Amino acid sequence: MPALLQISEPGESRAKEACATGAVGIDLGTTNSLIAIVLGDGKPHALAVDEGSTLLPSVVHYGEGGGPGSVVVGQAARRMATEFPRDTIVSVKRFMGRSSADPETRRLSPYRFAEGDSGVVRFVVDGARVVNPVEVSAEVLRALRTRAEDRLGIKVHQAVITVPAYFDDAQRQATKEAGRLAGLEVLRLLNEPTAAALAYGLDKRSQGTFAVYDLGGGTFDISILQLQQGVFEVKAVGGDSALGGDDFDRALAEILLEGQERTPRKVREAIDAAKRAKEDLTRVEVTEALGKRVTRAQLEAAIGPLIEKTGGPSRRALRDAGAPDGKGLDGVILVGGSTRVPAVRRYVRELFGMEPLADIDPDEVVALGAAVQADLLTSESPQHDVLLLDVAPLSLGLETMGGLVEKLILRNTTIPARATQEFTTFADGQAGMDIHVLQGERELVQDNRSLAKFTLAGIPPLPAGLARVAVTFQVDADGILSVTAREQLTGVSQTITVKPSHGLTDEEIERMLLASIEHAEEDVQARLLIDNRVEAQRILKAAEKQLDSNGDLLSADERRQIEAQMAAVRTAAQGSDHTAIHGEIEKLDRVSADFAKRVMDRGIERALKGHSVGEFDQGELSPHAKKAYEALRED
Amino acid sequence: MSARTCWSCGGEVAAGDPICPSCSKVQPAAPAGATLDKFDLLGVAPSFDEPAGLDEKFRSLYRMLRPDIFARASPRERRYSLEQTTLLNDAYKTVKDPVRRAEHLLALRGIKVDPKMSPEFLEQTLEDRERLLEAKMSGEPLEPMAKGVREQRDRTLAQVRELVENGGDLAQAAELLARMRYYARYLDEVEGRAVEL
Repeated sequence: MPALLQISEPGESRAKEACATGAVGIDLGTTNSLIAIVLGDGKPHALAVDEGSTLLPSVVHYGEGGGPGSVVVGQAARRMATEFPRDTIVSVKRFMGRSSADPETRRLSPYRFAEGDSGVVRFVVDGARVVNPVEVSAEVLRALRTRAEDRLGIKVHQAVITVPAYFDDAQRQATKEAGRLAGLEVLRLLNEPTAAALAYGLDKRSQGTFAVYDLGGGTFDISILQLQQGVFEVKAVGGDSALGGDDFDRALAEILLEGQERTPRKVREAIDAAKRAKEDLTRVEVTEALGKRVTRAQLEAAIGPLIEKTGGPSRRALRDAGAPDGKGLDGVILVGGSTRVPAVRRYVRELFGMEPLADIDPDEVVALGAAVQADLLTSESPQHDVLLLDVAPLSLGLETMGGLVEKLILRNTTIPARATQEFTTFADGQAGMDIHVLQGERELVQDNRSLAKFTLAGIPPLPAGLARVAVTFQVDADGILSVTAREQLTGVSQTITVKPSHGLTDEEIERMLLASIEHAEEDVQARLLIDNRVEAQRILKAAEKQLDSNGDLLSADERRQIEAQMAAVRTAAQGSDHTAIHGEIEKLDRVSADFAKRVMDRGIERALKGHSVGEFDQGELSPHAKKAYEALRED
Repeated sequence: MSARTCWSCGGEVAAGDPICPSCSKVQPAAPAGATLDKFDLLGVAPSFDEPAGLDEKFRSLYRMLRPDIFARASPRERRYSLEQTTLLNDAYKTVKDPVRRAEHLLALRGIKVDPKMSPEFLEQTLEDRERLLEAKMSGEPLEPMAKGVREQRDRTLAQVRELVENGGDLAQAAELLARMRYYARYLDEVEGRAVEL
């Protein structure tokens, strides 16, 4: 067993007792993840889990073969990111709970996405394997867990995992599933700013009203809390769940990539170089990245508009908390690695009109707070008696007539919370009612996030307006929503609990759990085979369609070549070697790339001549072909 | 209200008691309904003003019932804890807020606050909002108008208090109370709180 923690404190026996529960706090971050535990000294400690550091880069590399040893996590994975940009997933948190149609998946990144039926983002790694963000996050959590176990010499099976306060329902569900997949009982999802406040409140014995400004790798949170005598009451939260240091890196990378060809490798290199340059520039005025001279002024010009995007949510949260313009605020706490950027600190100082606090390491503070909460939840005699009152970050509502949203639970409502609304039927004999659950602040359905859609069936035939359906929203202490609909009048009641429409289905979760528990090689192979066969059918159909409608763009020779490769894909798909099928699909992509470009040009030409772009039916193309078009378009 | 039987030990539990006095197990929440007395739930006396010691009462109850201490308990206890704290949060929100508190007082006396307004009042609010819009367009300072509305709001609430505390016309009190929403929305708009997302 490796040396126990590099701390020595009185009451070593107490330490064993305290951590015997093995309940840890985990900060599952966009850029880095940390794990911490409360020891006998009553204090939370972050554990060194990656090459002597407490920061485990949230990077997962999928190597060849798909065996248990082929997954690498942390620094080691980060080092492989440049060489294997597509097989190394960085900042997976940005994809948690997002659908493949989400703009987030279309940003500058080197990944290859597969299209799934349920719309969940899937990465294609190591040639043919398909993994989703929950599985990737579970690898990070599993690495944290096993390394902490080595370090502590005890089993770790319970955890408090932190999430951005502004995470929506799907993102929270996904995080919880990732924990379960990594073999952890998730005691609680704790909001990151609240965790930070917990660490501050206990360590610094702070009292009063505080703002927690949390700018991480991929998310921005602002929380206004009131701290007094062990009570941590969140007054308001706000944020942007797709804004962080990653965006700073990308903004700078765009400059570095100017006039350069964009291959996945180049993109990865540029992003990494940008990140290093950004870090350098917190200390020096001038640095170099990819052979280019970069100044702090340049960086600040590039990221200025991004930093200013934190102003709106901050001001709104202050107003919601009854502290407009920072009036009555006792302090501003900085959390998240991105608050090290001098321009960010300057902005915060201006925004809140005071010097921000950063006494506790902004990288570690969230994990430390989570460890305190884990201790509270599991110890017979917790080290601190703390009362946490948190809120729902976004309003929750239902679609009503005319595409409007009726809010049932307003943002900043203390959770757990519940609300019921009654609806009546609008047609005689109406047997079903469509229920559309939304999250967000806007009036129109289309401007909010769709969480779930379902139909309450089996309403007894009654004249319009007589059947009454009560829809109840319940938000639990993790901030997760469940919705039930019940027909009131006849006593025929039906209860449905919804899962988010773009989250994972129960079957998928079951499948992932099975795969992770058994890790049965055959299962994986079988799945890969099916996935590749489906993909082969899809690309063949698309190719046939294009040959039919745009075949005149090809010479006889070119056409023969494409058709020969299509036959090869067909033959391979009949076999049971998934790598062979994948290889032939790739080849077909290559031999038809030029054709694809011509079809694309024709489409544009037609559009310019006044036809609508919609007539150029990209929806019919295979994902591979689409990628090819997108790559061509970028050139 | 009648006593209940503890699901765990079978002992007697008073209707409003969230915890069994014999075995200390958390009890299911009372079924939701209009008759639920939120003052009673929090253990404070009904009053127009904020009851003394409200925060402390709420916190000590919450401390006993919060999901945190049931994180490792049986699913049933976790469910009851969730139900109880949900009710508790709602009750606290109601009793803490002057307008919601007054509405609840009336509800307990069988008076529902009707959102229908007198035509005169509606006309007045429409005029106020039009003026606000004009002022926003022309860049005129909004604060004097907000001050006026704030004073109206405070006067109205004082009238409601008068009616409620001295056995006045409760229906009239309800009508006055309904106006509070209009004042609140107006002030939200002045402060730009409405839709700035």
